[in-house]
Amino acid sequence: MADRDPLAGEFALGLLEGDERAAAVRRLLAEPGFAADVEWWRTQFAALFDLWPEHDAPPQLAARVETSLDTLTRQSGHATDGVTTLRSGARSPWPWLAAASSAVAACLLLFIAVEPRSAPPVSQPIPAARPSSVLVAMLGDAKSPVAAVYDPATGALRVAAGPGVPDARVAQLWVIGGDGVPHSLGLLAARPTVLAPRGADRGRIAPGATLAISIEPLGGSPTGLPTGPVVATGVVARV
Amino acid sequence: MTLSKPQADAARAHLSSVLIRTGEEDRDAFRELYALTQAKLFGITLRICGNAQAAEDVLHDVYLTIWKRAGGWEPGRASPITWLATIARNRAIDWQRAQGVRRASPIDDAPDIADPQPSAEALLLDDEATRRLHACLEGLEQQQRDVIRTAFFDGVTYAELALRRAVPLGTMKSWVRRGLARLKDCLGG
Repeated sequence: MADRDPLAGEFALGLLEGDERAAAVRRLLAEPGFAADVEWWRTQFAALFDLWPEHDAPPQLAARVETSLDTLTRQSGHATDGVTTLRSGARSPWPWLAAASSAVAACLLLFIAVEPRSAPPVSQPIPAARPSSVLVAMLGDAKSPVAAVYDPATGALRVAAGPGVPDARVAQLWVIGGDGVPHSLGLLAARPTVLAPRGADRGRIAPGATLAISIEPLGGSPTGLPTGPVVATGVVARV
Repeated sequence: MTLSKPQADAARAHLSSVLIRTGEEDRDAFRELYALTQAKLFGITLRICGNAQAAEDVLHDVYLTIWKRAGGWEPGRASPITWLATIARNRAIDWQRAQGVRRASPIDDAPDIADPQPSAEALLLDDEATRRLHACLEGLEQQQRDVIRTAFFDGVTYAELALRRAVPLGTMKSWVRRGLARLKDCLGG
């Protein structure tokens, strides 16, 4: 029987949520075979797009998009770095992970709001009226997550003890923001670590961004992008 | 009305070139891309978001995303319209999930999904793959086919599907999984 792992198809359809979805995202990053299955299903289902009824967008939207693009291009001397990196072909499968993972962020927020006791670093949900400045991400699964807490006021990124790593390897933390490209935030240790991201990386740690931990050679990834398996991911949320 | 195969190939090649030029930050190409794709992509965000204002806001973000990521599109991997439509669908689903509400019933004012009569634009997609998928979907039990289609077009989760059909979550999962297994067999995956 074709009793293959049904998870890839379920994930491609967008049926999963919460822990199940987070687990699928992790497998997507860590297992090329699973990623290929998801890609296969997406390609198959893409044939359904042709049945989607068309509907003209409101006429004002074109001008609205143009205005936003003007602003974007004015601002972004450095934002084009990301675009250049994308073109270099080193991107797969990160960019659409960033898009896919905002649904995970939504689920995580819901999770924190509904079950405050099961989210260790967030002792109590802070009433929404108070604009708290601290950002949190839980990397990995619900049983043994690695918590990361970022305080934009001080620029300190506190990360709990990193995952276990094989000899001669090190865990490296990455942020994937709107540009879809992983940017290194630093190396993790077996004990809690405080990192001090610089410049542009500070801005990248924003609600909806993804944090990821990969296993790299000592000294960190030689290429500037993750080279080893990604062992945990989580989405940044404001608390 | 249908396009002939050469016409469809030409349309697809044209959209590809427009997308590639958009990736080179060519604003004129982007405007053309917008004109060629806005109705398809708005159709997607409208159905999943369920209201016009949200659908417009999401589509706004979709086009900014397209502008930023067009350089990363790989012509060999996905057809241009698939790539664009996938971004729109994912963004709309993100929005819908962020609302934190479960829709127990289909959206009232969303246009119905037509019977499988591919529109002219459909032929921007790979014609043969489309036919094959439809044939394989037809081969499923109706229940399996319906829930898979609903999952795709309405962007709903297992929990929502179960709620709509008033069946236990486990039942819904087994319908979908059996359907996916048969589909995979049929498609030769």
